[in-house]
Amino acid sequence: MPIALSPPFRPRNGLTKFTNCRLVRGNKLVQEDLWVSSLSGKIVNSQAAFFDDLVLPDQTIDLGGRIVSPGMIDVQLNGAFGFNFSTLLDDMSQYGKKVKEVQKLLVQTGVTSYNPTITSQRPELYQKALPFLGPSGHLQEAEDGAESLGAHCEGPFLSPTKNGVHNVDVLIEAQTFEDLEACYGKHNLTPRAEGEQIPIKYITAAPERGQMMKLIPELKKKGIIYSVGHSESTYEEASEAVGLGATMITHLFNAMRPLHHRNPGIFGVLGIAESLPRPYFGIIADGIHLHPTTIKIAFNAHPDGFILVTDAMHLVGLPDGAYPWTNGDTTCNIVKVGSKLLLENSDTIAGSSITLLECVNNFLQWTGTGIPHALQAVTATPAAMLGLQGVKGSLDAGADADLVIFSEAQTPGQPSTLVLDEVWKFGTRVHRATPPKSE
Amino acid sequence: MRLIIRDDSDGASDYVANYIINRINTFHPSAENPFVLGLPTGSSPLGVYKVLVQKYKAGLVSFENVITFNMDEYVGIPRDHAESYHTFMWKHFFSHVNIHPSNVHILNGNAPNLEAECVAYEDAIKKAGGIDLFLAGIGEDGHIAFNEPGSSLASRTRVKTLAYDTILANSRFFDHDISKVPRMALTVGVQTVLEAREVVVIILGQRKSLALQKCIEEGVNHMWTLSSLQLHPHPMIVVDEDATAELKVKTVKYFKSIEKVAQEAGFEQILPSKVRTGNGPIPQTTVDEVSSPTIHAPQPTTSRLLRATPATEYPIRSVSPDLVPDRMASRIPEPHLTDRLTPNPEQQAVQNAITA
Ligand SMILES: [Zn+2]
Repeated sequence: MPIALSPPFRPRNGLTKFTNCRLVRGNKLVQEDLWVSSLSGKIVNSQAAFFDDLVLPDQTIDLGGRIVSPGMIDVQLNGAFGFNFSTLLDDMSQYGKKVKEVQKLLVQTGVTSYNPTITSQRPELYQKALPFLGPSGHLQEAEDGAESLGAHCEGPFLSPTKNGVHNVDVLIEAQTFEDLEACYGKHNLTPRAEGEQIPIKYITAAPERGQMMKLIPELKKKGIIYSVGHSESTYEEASEAVGLGATMITHLFNAMRPLHHRNPGIFGVLGIAESLPRPYFGIIADGIHLHPTTIKIAFNAHPDGFILVTDAMHLVGLPDGAYPWTNGDTTCNIVKVGSKLLLENSDTIAGSSITLLECVNNFLQWTGTGIPHALQAVTATPAAMLGLQGVKGSLDAGADADLVIFSEAQTPGQPSTLVLDEVWKFGTRVHRATPPKSE
Repeated sequence: MRLIIRDDSDGASDYVANYIINRINTFHPSAENPFVLGLPTGSSPLGVYKVLVQKYKAGLVSFENVITFNMDEYVGIPRDHAESYHTFMWKHFFSHVNIHPSNVHILNGNAPNLEAECVAYEDAIKKAGGIDLFLAGIGEDGHIAFNEPGSSLASRTRVKTLAYDTILANSRFFDHDISKVPRMALTVGVQTVLEAREVVVIILGQRKSLALQKCIEEGVNHMWTLSSLQLHPHPMIVVDEDATAELKVKTVKYFKSIEKVAQEAGFEQILPSKVRTGNGPIPQTTVDEVSSPTIHAPQPTTSRLLRATPATEYPIRSVSPDLVPDRMASRIPEPHLTDRLTPNPEQQAVQNAITA
């Protein structure tokens, strides 16, 4: 007698198979299937699932040749959809609620994880806000939307002459680690209990200010990434910081000394290939902060360190107009025109309100380096900068199943641009740009 | 024996894939009566898998109730190694179709007890009701699965040490480093293949032409293990033109003409109904102890081999005209040959009538 076969109705296993698609793998687009699990929230080794677990996917999705990318990561986002992370609320329990609202909207832009960024503020704000901004992915709730990978504290240990739009009055110097604790709060830097995660993922500080240079190794020991930025550092100082463990440069070229042929400044450390690991660096490709050619030069100097960031203000996602902005104690107006943000009655750039996908498409148009490279700059590279290679920004088995599905828009004679179709978080579809007709 | 010749490798692969699909579809496999398919790896069947996947995606075949048994697997490389036959099957076939993993059988080259693994494999084939169709490819030396020259034609699933030539040939898949090539493999035996109710072999390219010639035009010989197919009741070999390079023109013409005649008569695929629809008798599997490295004295296996094909499975009407040497030329459409060489009863009768 033939052996009895498995029944046609099989228990649901949460597996989805994408087929007829192109996967972003390294700097290539590879025609390959992808299996994800909504139960584990991970990308699945399909061959092992088949031969070991004897399972078939619950659903197979034919993508008709479209592109599957890891979910995008924005390592510098100041706020979005009207909420600024650097805001002190009377009732701070509302703060957590606001963050969650932002995350649910943010994921629809293809950003599946991000570093909420606090600009230079007084200690009180850090201590009250940071507990709401720590890593939020441990529950793997797809419905929560974009996931915080930990807060980015941009300031207040910055150079007052490279403050950008940061309020000079709140900028301070640190002589000891206790000074950092006094500002950010002790338990935002050191876990209360072993194994507990702290909210801060990385800080941007000027190494030449106070004794900051000496504090870099201690930060590194605590697992906090040190990024050089808003700084008057010379090439020598920046090199020293990198030697001590700085692995990132915040918005390269902006709020730092320009490249000078006799002192290449912070940019110069991208040229050190010999003795030190070269740092990662953030680039704002909004067409305002940097000239397209400057971006091209930076990319070619160190493509593996190139990270596209938005540095977007909370006005991203809102209509054009003048919006009041409270920066510390002063309130002024910011004028939003498209993705451009200016301080009212001035030429000062007040950050951007660009989306990360717009940055990617700008980069594609300006450099023609190809889709995989552009997507790497918002997936694998930021993940590596955050020490999350293989977990985020990757389509390898075992990585978190955060995905974006893109179509390509072709314009004759120009590099194609990406159009966002779907967003998946932890193996579950959380957004569709155009709902299917049948629904 | 049916020998199907196609102009090129695509044509041959197409033919085999469509043949398999046809067999599955006319079989109407169900959970109770699944279609059991034996499968090879290697470059020759690649095109067949490609077409099978295309046709599956086009909705022309389903593997829902198909059980598969693979021919062989290396010993001692990780299952998910890029060159393992598990990976090959996953990459080229299983990942693209709706076959259920519990219906897939591939020998485990990392089993703690390899001999027990081989015995269990034969048992699993038996439990599945025997193999309905075994698809195979061959090596340049005419080996089928890892049954290299000199393998017993009565062999069953077992551990096999690879010939040095095979190791050398396979080193191209292992960074050209001979030390990385597995030394052993698990393989179904020649007899395991012959017990399938039908065997289809795809042979492509000039490099395999000598092997094809040995297996078709010469006798059964353990140095060319595919030649054992001559003892099977329903074998079919599908080749491209290049693979026929060593065959006699006469042989090629003969088989081409048979296909033409059969096609015209509309019985291209005639198998006994039991083979066509399953529920056939379970082949008697006597699992000889795997420890048969040397045969000290001639065993009666040969005679058993010749008996192994149950007479009940022969076609009720013949599949193709029998090969009667003195009638062969009559099938070749060349009139003068027909006139000269063939005793023609009708003509003789006419002549007799005139002289009478
Ligand atoms: Zn800044």
